[in-house]
Amino acid sequence: MSDNCYANELVPAIAKVFKIVDETPDIKTFFVSLPDGTKPFTPQPGQLGMVSLLHIGEAMFSVTAQGETHLEFAIKKCGLLTDALHEIKPGQMIGVRGPYGNGFPIERCLGKDLLFIGGGIGLAPVRSLITYCLGQRDDFGTLDIIYGARSIADLCFKEDLFSNWPRHERTKVHVTVDQGDPDCSCHIGFVPAFLEKINPDPQDKMVILCGPPIMIKFCLEVLTKIGYQDEQIITTLEMRMKCGIGKCGRCNIGSKFVCLDGPVFSMADLKNLPGEF
Amino acid sequence: MHILAKANLIEAIERLVKEFKVLVPMQYDGVSRFSVWGSHGMQAFNASNTLLPPKDSLFPRTETLYAYQVANQEITGVTVRDQAEHQIIFGIRPCDMQSIHCLDDVFLTKGYADSYYHSKREKLLTVCIGCTKSEPTCFCESMGINPAGHSGADIQMNDLGSGYRVVAQSQSGQEIVEKWKDLLSQGQEEVVAASCTLKVDMNGVPEMLATLFEHSLWQEVSRKCIGCGTCTYLCPTCHCFDMDIQNQGNQGTRFRCWDSCMFSDYSRMAGGHDPRPSKSERLRNRFLHKLQFFSERYGKSLCVGCGRCLIKCPVHVDITLLIDQVRKEAAHV
Ligand code: SF4
Ligand code: SF4
Ligand code: FES
Repeated sequence: MSDNCYANELVPAIAKVFKIVDETPDIKTFFVSLPDGTKPFTPQPGQLGMVSLLHIGEAMFSVTAQGETHLEFAIKKCGLLTDALHEIKPGQMIGVRGPYGNGFPIERCLGKDLLFIGGGIGLAPVRSLITYCLGQRDDFGTLDIIYGARSIADLCFKEDLFSNWPRHERTKVHVTVDQGDPDCSCHIGFVPAFLEKINPDPQDKMVILCGPPIMIKFCLEVLTKIGYQDEQIITTLEMRMKCGIGKCGRCNIGSKFVCLDGPVFSMADLKNLPGEF
Repeated sequence: MHILAKANLIEAIERLVKEFKVLVPMQYDGVSRFSVWGSHGMQAFNASNTLLPPKDSLFPRTETLYAYQVANQEITGVTVRDQAEHQIIFGIRPCDMQSIHCLDDVFLTKGYADSYYHSKREKLLTVCIGCTKSEPTCFCESMGINPAGHSGADIQMNDLGSGYRVVAQSQSGQEIVEKWKDLLSQGQEEVVAASCTLKVDMNGVPEMLATLFEHSLWQEVSRKCIGCGTCTYLCPTCHCFDMDIQNQGNQGTRFRCWDSCMFSDYSRMAGGHDPRPSKSERLRNRFLHKLQFFSERYGKSLCVGCGRCLIKCPVHVDITLLIDQVRKEAAHV
C-alpha cells in the first residue's frame, strides 16, 4: 500500500478484481487489490481513481469504499468501457491509477449534523464519506441519509441502507423510489419532494448532495427554500476526464479542473464558476 | 559582442548535429515548419514564424505512452515508452518561445509533472532569432512579448544583415557558443527589431471577459465557425489531448494525440450529457481559455499573438477583432 499508485502519472498499475457484487440490474461493485494482495492506494473519501481495461479504455470513477487491502468501485453500465467491465469475472486483471482530486472537506463537517442526499449511482461517492463518519461516529452530530432510485430494484447498497447504517446511533436512512408497488415498504416519489417533506432543519448542518443533474437542481431549490446557505452544501461533479492530472484540458470549468480542483465543490464555489457542467 | 557571419551559419549548425537533433525552420510544399536539419525543403531562417508551431518537438501530435499484452484475463506486460533525444530548436521566434513557457506551466506545474513532456523538455535547447520584420498578422507585442528576443531561450540571436549577434543566456547556451568560438567575430552593431503593426489593447481584458460570459457576442462570433479545429492545431499553446488505444491481437498500445476543444464530441460524457453542447459554448471556452482562464490559473496569457489562427481560419474568426469587440461590449455592460 502506498499513497499513490501508477507506473507513471499516465500509466496504470496492474490490479486484480477479486470480487464483483451485483447492486442493481445496471450497477456492479468491483473489489480491487494489487496482485500481492495489498491496497492500490488510500484515498480520502470522495477522491477518484482511474480504472481501465487496457485493451478497451479508461475512465474515472469515485472510490466507493475501501478496506485494509482493497478498494471498491461501484460502476454503472453506460458506455463502451463500463459495458465491458460488466462482462468481466472475478480474477480479471485491470489497470488502476490514482488517487486524483480532492476529497470531501471533512474538517468543515466535524461536529456538525450531516445530511446526505443521493440519487441513483450518486450514492457511490457519498458512501465513502458515510462510512468514514460511521467509523468516527463521535466526531459528528446526527446523520440523515436521503436516497432515491427509480425502483426498488435500482437501489444500490441495499444491505447498508436497510441493515448496516440504520443500526448506528443518531443515524437515519430515508429511502424513496420513483415508482413502486403500492405495498412496497419504501416511500414513493422523487427525491426533491421527499426532501421537502422531511424538511431537515438547516441549523448546524452540512449537506452532501450527489446525483443526476436534474435531481441536484431541484434539491437545491428545496434546500434554499428551507433556508440552507450555499456554503452548507457540498457536491461532487462528473466530467469527462482523460489524464486526471490537469494536463489534457478536458475537464475544465472556467479556470478550474475537475480532476485536480474537484470533483468535490461547495455550492458557493460553483456559483463563482461558469455553469458548464 | 559575438557575431556569427551568415556565411558560417551552416557550419555552426553542422557542428551540433552529432550531439543533437537540430530542428530548423523549413519551407516545403507551401508549408513552413521546424524540420530536422538536412531534410527536404528550403531553409526559412529569413521568414517570420513558421506556419506549424514547434510544439510537436515537446508534445508530439501522436505519442505512444505504453504498450501492453493481454491474454484471457491476464495482463502479461506493460512497457512504458518514454524516449527523449537531445534536440535543438534553432530559429524559434519570441512568440513561440513564450508558448513553450506556457506549455511548461501546463505540463510541469500544479502538483504533477508529465513525465513524457518533462523528459523531452530537459533535453531541449532553444536558439531564438529575434524578428526584424513582422507579418501583418503578428501582434505579439500587444501580448507583452518583445519581438527582439526572449530571455527564456538558451541562445538569443539577432539578424544584423550580414551576420547574427549571438548571446548565450544559459549554461547550455554557453557550451554551444564555446563550440562556435572560431566561427565568431567581435563587433558592435545595433540590433534592429520589428514592431508589430497589428495591435490590440489587452489591458483589463481578462476582467472584462469575466463579465461577458452570458453575452450574445459568443453566438455572433461562433455563427460562422465550422468547428474544423484548424485554430487549435496551429496554435502553439493549445495542449488539449485525447488518450486512446490501438489493439493488434493480444497486444496494443495506448497513445495520446492532439485534440481540439472545437470538436463536437470533445466534452461529451459516456451517458450523453455534454456541458458544451453547441459551437458557441465551445468557441467561448477556447477564447476564454486563451485570454481569461489561463491567466487566472497561471498568471499569463495563453495567446502569444503569433497570428496563426488569424491566417488560417477558413471563415476568418479573428482573435484580435474579438478582443476589440470585448472592449466595446464591456463598455456597455
Ligand atoms: S479555425 Fe475557424 S472555423 Fe475552424 S474551428 Fe477554429 S474558429 Fe472555427
Ligand atoms: S490563439 Fe491564435 S494568435 Fe494566439 S497564440 Fe494561438 S494561434 Fe497564435
Ligand atoms: S482529466 Fe485531463 S485535465 Fe482533467
